[in-house]
Amino acid sequence: MPGAANRNGVRVGVFVCDCGLNIAGTVDCGAVAEYAGTLDGVVAVIRNKYTCADPGQNEIKKAIVEHNLNRVVVASCTPKIHEPTFRNCVAEAGMNPYLFEMANIREHVSWVHQNEKDAATDKAKAIVRAAVARARLLEPQIEAEVAVEQAALVIGGGIAGIQAALDLADAGHQVYLVEKEPSIGGIMAALDKTYPTMDCSI
Amino acid sequence: MMDAGRHPRIELLSNSEVTKVKGYVGNFTVTVKRKARYVDEKECTACNECVEVCPVAVPDEYQQGFSSRKAIYIPFPQSVPSSFIIDMESCLGNNPIACGKCLEACDKNCIDFDDQDRFVDLEVGTIICATGMDVYDPTEIVEYGYRRYENVITSMEFERLICASGPTEGHFMRPSDQKRPLRIGFIQCVGSRSEKRGVAYCGNICCMNTIKDTLLLADHYPDTESKVFYMDIRAFGKGFEDLYRRSKEAGAQYIRGLPGEIVEDPKSKNLVVRVENTTAGRLEEHELDMVVLAVGVIPRHDAPVMRQLLTLSKTADGFLMESHPKLKPVDAPSRGVFFAGCAEYPKDVKDSVTQASAAAARAGILLSQGKVCIEAITSRIDGDLCIYCGRCAKVCPYNAITAPDRKKKQLPIVIEAACAGCGTCAAECPTDAITMKHFTDEQILAQIEAYLAEDPEDQIIIFACNWCSYPGSDLAGTSRLQYPTHGRVIRTMCSGRVAEKFVLRAFELGAPIVLVSGCHFSDCHYISAVQWTQRRIEKLWEKMEKLGIRPERLQLEWISAAQGQKWAEVQRSLEELRKKVTKEEIGETRRILAQERARKEKKAKGRPKAGAVASEQE
Amino acid sequence: MPGEADFVCLRCGAHFKMPYEESEGPKERACPECKSNSVRRVKEKK
Repeated sequence: MPGAANRNGVRVGVFVCDCGLNIAGTVDCGAVAEYAGTLDGVVAVIRNKYTCADPGQNEIKKAIVEHNLNRVVVASCTPKIHEPTFRNCVAEAGMNPYLFEMANIREHVSWVHQNEKDAATDKAKAIVRAAVARARLLEPQIEAEVAVEQAALVIGGGIAGIQAALDLADAGHQVYLVEKEPSIGGIMAALDKTYPTMDCSI
Repeated sequence: MMDAGRHPRIELLSNSEVTKVKGYVGNFTVTVKRKARYVDEKECTACNECVEVCPVAVPDEYQQGFSSRKAIYIPFPQSVPSSFIIDMESCLGNNPIACGKCLEACDKNCIDFDDQDRFVDLEVGTIICATGMDVYDPTEIVEYGYRRYENVITSMEFERLICASGPTEGHFMRPSDQKRPLRIGFIQCVGSRSEKRGVAYCGNICCMNTIKDTLLLADHYPDTESKVFYMDIRAFGKGFEDLYRRSKEAGAQYIRGLPGEIVEDPKSKNLVVRVENTTAGRLEEHELDMVVLAVGVIPRHDAPVMRQLLTLSKTADGFLMESHPKLKPVDAPSRGVFFAGCAEYPKDVKDSVTQASAAAARAGILLSQGKVCIEAITSRIDGDLCIYCGRCAKVCPYNAITAPDRKKKQLPIVIEAACAGCGTCAAECPTDAITMKHFTDEQILAQIEAYLAEDPEDQIIIFACNWCSYPGSDLAGTSRLQYPTHGRVIRTMCSGRVAEKFVLRAFELGAPIVLVSGCHFSDCHYISAVQWTQRRIEKLWEKMEKLGIRPERLQLEWISAAQGQKWAEVQRSLEELRKKVTKEEIGETRRILAQERARKEKKAKGRPKAGAVASEQE
Repeated sequence: MPGEADFVCLRCGAHFKMPYEESEGPKERACPECKSNSVRRVKEKK
C-alpha cells in the first residue's frame, strides 16, 4: 500500500496504464501498481485503462488535489508521444510540468518482451523504481517566453519554397525567399508538362 | 513564380546562399551570402543587347546541355528575377583588351564587373527548409550506356526535348541525327528500388512521369510507338490510375521486366533493348530509336551542409528527418524549422505544394502567436566550484559559454538563449560545477542507483539520447522486435551528457554491462556533441583497463531513430556480453571502484574548494 | 604504416586495421565483422 511523504516532503503519485491490452496483455500491471506503492515517497497509486484518455487525465488531476501530490509518474508509453500531454495535464492541475516523469513500459517492455511475461513485469517494476527515484529529485523549471521575430525565411525557391513563401506572405507575414540559383523555379521550371493535369509547369 | 517575385511581403534573394544560422526558435539570425551577379537585377530589363555581343558560348544547364548560352545570360525566359547574370567562370573579363563588349552594349549601365559577394543578416522567427532534391545520374549503370549511346537520355532530358521552349522548340528529335524517333522505350526504376546501384527506396514520381511522357508523345505524334519496361507501375494518387489507363488506350505498351542491357547499332545508332518479359516468361529484344531512363530522386548533394546549418538529422534514405513521421511530418526536430517539398522525401508537384502550404501554416502559427517558450533545460555554473579551467567553453557545440578568465576571476557565463541543453559541459566539468537543469547529476545517479538496488547483476545500464537512440528503441517497440529483458534505459538529451562518473558509479554498484548510445556523427542533434561522447568513452576504456576492469563491459553504439533493428540487435549482443560477466568479476570491480572512491575522497579533503563533489547520493 | 592503425572490437573481439591519423578528431567507426561501434584503437606500445 502507498506510504507517506518521504522526509523531504515529496509526495509522488504513480499512474500505471494498461493501454488496453497493449501493456496489460504482457505486463502484470496490478503487480507493478502494488510494487509502486512500496516505493519511498509514493503516496498514491492508480491504475488506468488508458491514462492518456480524458478519464485517465481527470484521475491524475483529481489525485493531485486529493493526495496533495507534488510529483507525478505515469508508467505507460514512450515520453516521445505523451510527455507533452501529461505535462499539460499536471500543469492544468497547478503543478509545474517539470515535476512530471514518465516510465516507458510499453515500447521498452510489453511490446518487446511479449513472450516473457514474468521478466517483463520485473523490468516494468525496475523502470518504475528508477522513474520514481528520479521524480523525487525533480525540480520545477521555468520556460521563459520570448517574442517571435515577425518574419520567416524560406530556403529554396522551387515549387515548394515558392508556395510556402506565397502562403505566408498572403497571411500577412514578411518573408525572405533565398534561392541559390540566379532564378527561382527549381526543378519544376525545367519540366514541360506535369501530371495529373498535363498542364505547363511554370 | 511571378507572384512570388512581385509580392509586396516577399523579399526575393536569388543567387544567394545561407551561410550561417544562429539563435533559436523565434529568434534566428541568418547570414545570407548574396553572390555577385555583376548585373543590377533591378535595372536590367532583359533586353538581350548584351547577349548578342557576348563572344563566349557554353553548354546551357537549363536545357540539359542540349544547346548553348552565353557567359552573360538569363537562365530561362520566365526567370524571376527577370535579370541577366554573368557567369564569371566562363566570362573573358572586363579587361578591355580581352572583352568588355557587354559593358558597351548595355545602354542602362546595368553591368558592374566590380560587383562583389555581399553578406546580409536576416532576423527571422521561423525557417522553412525547401531545398529540394537531386536527380540520379545513371552513368554508373554501364549496361544502359548512358553517355556512351547518344540516344539514351534521362527523363529530365526528355522534358527539355519535348518542351516548346526547349532547345528544339518542341520539335522532338533524337540527339544522334536530329530525326524524330518513332520507337521510344522507357526504362523504369533507374537508380531506384535497387540495393546495388542508386537507392533502395521508390522514386515516387518516375512511374507517373513516364505515363505522362507517353501521353505527350501520343498527343504530339500519334504514330510514335512507346514501350515502357517496368517492374511495378505505381499509380496510386488521385487521377493517376486514369492516366495510366489513358496511356494504355493511346497505344503505349507496358512490358513487365527491367532490361538487362542496351546495345547500340554503331551505324544507325538505334538501340536494342534485351529484356526478360516476366509476364510472357521469355527473353525479348526490342529495337528502338531512343531510350528514356526514368531516373530516381536522391537527396541533394549539399544536404549535409544544410543539415549542419539548421542542426537537422536525416533518415536512413538520406532525406531530412521529421519531428515525427506521422504526427509532425512537416516539423523539423529543431524547433521553429519546417520542411516543404523534396528535401524531406521525393514528391510530385501536388504533394510539394500540399506540404508547402502545411509548412506555411505551421510556421504561421508561430508568427501569429507572437511568442514562444524557450528551452528550460539549460546549464548553470556554480561559481564556488568553478576552477576557471575553461573546459566547458571549449566543448560547447553552440559557443553558448563564454570562456572564463582566471586572472580577472571572471567565471564562464552560459548564454541561456543559445544553450540547447546537450549537457556536454556538465559531463566534462572536472569539479561538478555545472548543473544541467532537469538532467542533474543527482537525478541521473538516482536512476542508476534505483536500477541497481535489486539484483544488479541482471541490470544492463543503457544511456540513450533523446533524439536518435531513444526513438530508435521506441521503433523497436512499435515494430514488436523481441529482445532480451535485461536492458535498463536512462534517457538523456544527448549522449554528451553521460559523464564518466555515471558509468563508473554503475559499475561500482554492480552493473555487469553499461551501454552508451547516441546519434550517428552525421545526425547529432547538438552539432558535434557526440564527438565528445566518443572521446570520453575512449578515455574510459583506458581508465578501466588501468584499474583492472575489462573495457568490453562498456559498450558504445550509434543508433539512429530509424534503426529499431539495430537497437534490438544491440540488446541481444549486450545480453551475450552480460552472460560472460561472473559474480566474482562484478565483486572485484565493486572492490576496485570503492577503493578508488576512497582514494579520491581522501585526496579531495586536502582541496576544500574544488573537491566538494556534489554527486554523492544515498 | 602511416595513415593506418590497429583496432579491436569490444563486442566481438575482432582485430582489424583502419585508416587513422594521429591529428584527426574523433570519427565514427564500425567493426567490419559485427558492425558494432565499440571500436577501440590498440595503442602501439602494447
